[in-house]
Amino acid sequence: MSAESPFVERFPSEARIVRLNLGVAFIALFIGGLFGAIQSLHRTGVYRGLIQSSDYYSMLTAHGVLLALVFTTFFIAGLFHWGITRSFDRNAPSQWFSMTWFGVMLLGTVLATIAILGGLIPFAPDDLNAAVLYTFYAPMKAHPLFYIGAALLIVGSWLAGADWFWSYFRWRKTNSDERIPLQAFMVLVTWLMWYLATLGVATEVVVFLIPWSLGIIPAVDPLLTRTLFWFFGHPVVYFWLLPAYFVWYTILPKLSGGRLVSDPLARVSFVLFLLLSTPVGFHHQYLDPGIAEGFKFIAMSNTMFLLLPSLLTAFTVVASMEHGARQRGGKGLLGWLRALPWDEPAFAGVALAGLMFAAGGFSGMVNAGMNLNYLVHNTQWVPGHFHLTVGTAAALTFMAISYWLVPQVTGKRLQLKGLAIVQPYLWFLGMTLMSNAMHRSGLAGVPRRTAEPEWNAVSGIAYETIVGSFQETQLQIAVGGVLLFVSVVLFSMVMFGTFLVRADLGPIRVSGSLPRPLSTAEDGPLVLDNLRLWFTIAVVLVAIAYGPPFFDMISDGVFWPGTPPTTSGL
Amino acid sequence: MSTDTEIEREISHEEFTPIGTATLIAVYFVILVVLWVFTYFVEFLGRELTVVG
Amino acid sequence: MEIHRYEKIWFVIALLMIVGFIATIAYGAVGAGVEMIADDGGTMDPNDVSGTEFEDPGVRQVGEDHYEVYVLSQQFLFRPGTTEPIRVPAGSTVTFYITSTDVMHGFALAGTNLNVMVIPGQVAKVTVEFEDPGEYGIVCNEYCGNGHHSMEGKVVVVPESQYEGP
Repeated sequence: MSAESPFVERFPSEARIVRLNLGVAFIALFIGGLFGAIQSLHRTGVYRGLIQSSDYYSMLTAHGVLLALVFTTFFIAGLFHWGITRSFDRNAPSQWFSMTWFGVMLLGTVLATIAILGGLIPFAPDDLNAAVLYTFYAPMKAHPLFYIGAALLIVGSWLAGADWFWSYFRWRKTNSDERIPLQAFMVLVTWLMWYLATLGVATEVVVFLIPWSLGIIPAVDPLLTRTLFWFFGHPVVYFWLLPAYFVWYTILPKLSGGRLVSDPLARVSFVLFLLLSTPVGFHHQYLDPGIAEGFKFIAMSNTMFLLLPSLLTAFTVVASMEHGARQRGGKGLLGWLRALPWDEPAFAGVALAGLMFAAGGFSGMVNAGMNLNYLVHNTQWVPGHFHLTVGTAAALTFMAISYWLVPQVTGKRLQLKGLAIVQPYLWFLGMTLMSNAMHRSGLAGVPRRTAEPEWNAVSGIAYETIVGSFQETQLQIAVGGVLLFVSVVLFSMVMFGTFLVRADLGPIRVSGSLPRPLSTAEDGPLVLDNLRLWFTIAVVLVAIAYGPPFFDMISDGVFWPGTPPTTSGL
Repeated sequence: MSTDTEIEREISHEEFTPIGTATLIAVYFVILVVLWVFTYFVEFLGRELTVVG
Repeated sequence: MEIHRYEKIWFVIALLMIVGFIATIAYGAVGAGVEMIADDGGTMDPNDVSGTEFEDPGVRQVGEDHYEVYVLSQQFLFRPGTTEPIRVPAGSTVTFYITSTDVMHGFALAGTNLNVMVIPGQVAKVTVEFEDPGEYGIVCNEYCGNGHHSMEGKVVVVPESQYEGP
């Protein structure tokens, strides 16, 4: 890797692509976060004056799509474009092609967002809405623009991967004996998993939902389309998580003052994710009729083993932080924790994100338990879980690493650093309050995805929490939700300020160099870099897990039992 | 971030023993097992109306 | 590949923990008798309930202590369940058959382990034992449209001596 001129000076065009992607991501984060705060006030009953309950679901769709699909995908694309360029230390093969994939992703996003926001704008046409939530299960129908937009976002992401694989093949021609640089390895493995995973949702949207929403085909089988969604819906969470792991493995050790203890172990964990992320989707359908228990059991076993690469990551990453802390002079069994740079925003945010992920991991283990799902399915436990994982492990890592990355791709010093130091801690506090309350109210049976969880027509029934009370959980959710939005505002101010400040105020203070791992790539077996082998095994595992159940669903007719579109009642 | 200049000494691969990590992970393991047993046997199996067919 | 001894130990412990989780679930199935909802409810045409039990949904007695309840879920009510509660006697075994003729719904008795997805075209079949008298709230826990939050119902378990039949 080159010495110390910043990335933006060595690769100005690539830096521009990164900035564009991050810019879209941060706008989506702000709007999605604002809606989240409104939702947390509305459904808890603290303040219902901003929207009608019937409009809540359009807002919830926007919240889910903007945060879990737009913010994530664009941030990841920007981060990975930086990582690939840095790894191979050369320009992208075609700046025009890079701009194209960004443009396709952006077009898709705009179309889908117009459809969703149409449901919130009073003067929009009646049929311009997409109150279908981020999972858009048939037979509930959205405006065709929603599905077309979603398809374009996915296709754009495929083109992004093509850009990076192109870079890889070009680099290979002049580096036939070298190990794939670690960051590039992680990008390519993540994207191989993504290509496999998106086959499900692409089929669902392009083959079924777009024609159905346009009236070209009269009916679709809701169980089949739902299964196609969850074929994608589980691996997408690793699409969010692996970029966070990318940061934790390759950058966090340096932020901690140390080195990654093992490059090969990092590769092992990514390979395990490629193999096991997709053949597990039925754990989102444990309580579905129409699916035999055997298929659910296979999904459960695969899911439980999928815990392994995360558990290994926990050890490797914490050990790398310990290495840094001790190099900084930290001593004692646990006293070294204090030697870490908790006053540096990038370090603090990424470390807190990792800590919170440990809690999210537990609720994920519960979610994986087949019959245990009767306890938590579709209760508030589920958003309690995923706000810790995508909502913190991924989102807070992305925000925090921006404090380190954005100066390098803009050439500008981080502004409003005082706000940046506070922002991760505020996020951690808000999420602790909101998520613990969601888990507890979920165990009491309070449902997710509803504008008004309290009993309306039915009398004499109460939610019983094991600790605390229903009312107290609702209050914590409202307070937590508002604190999280304040944290997003702080983040946005820092980013806005940094993007807008003049470029010539002096050199950036961040160093982009990443030290060599303690155990390097060459210490690991060559087979780890055999992408073709791992991808082939991944495909075989998916064929085993999904072949028979899909055959079952299709054998009585691809479109049977079929349903026509139904509106959300808007 | 000026963490580069705050390093007191370099620690090599051979010298490094992740005893702090092992301690933290051990504590985490115990918490996971306790919470799992509680969630499964008390919260879940201890609850009414289990599906039996 | 050099892996520190502590990490190797953790690798083994983690695998054992994973196996332990799977074993717990298996115990729940084999030991405690928890059954997963599966495909034995069969399929039907969601656009036409004529000729099926869902044409006239409700409670049926099929054995001395065995009842069947056919529940039709629609935007935004359960039939039966919402306008009139589902009534069964204490000490009975009840098999629910639940489907929908419009969109996806959920059928869950809040605070219990009775919780299933309701998918048009599929019949969700689950059996539970109601031992003691009491009341349960039915929540539709899968988003089904802009009136979703008002979709509720009730199951009333009547003391055996007071039960007047379905």
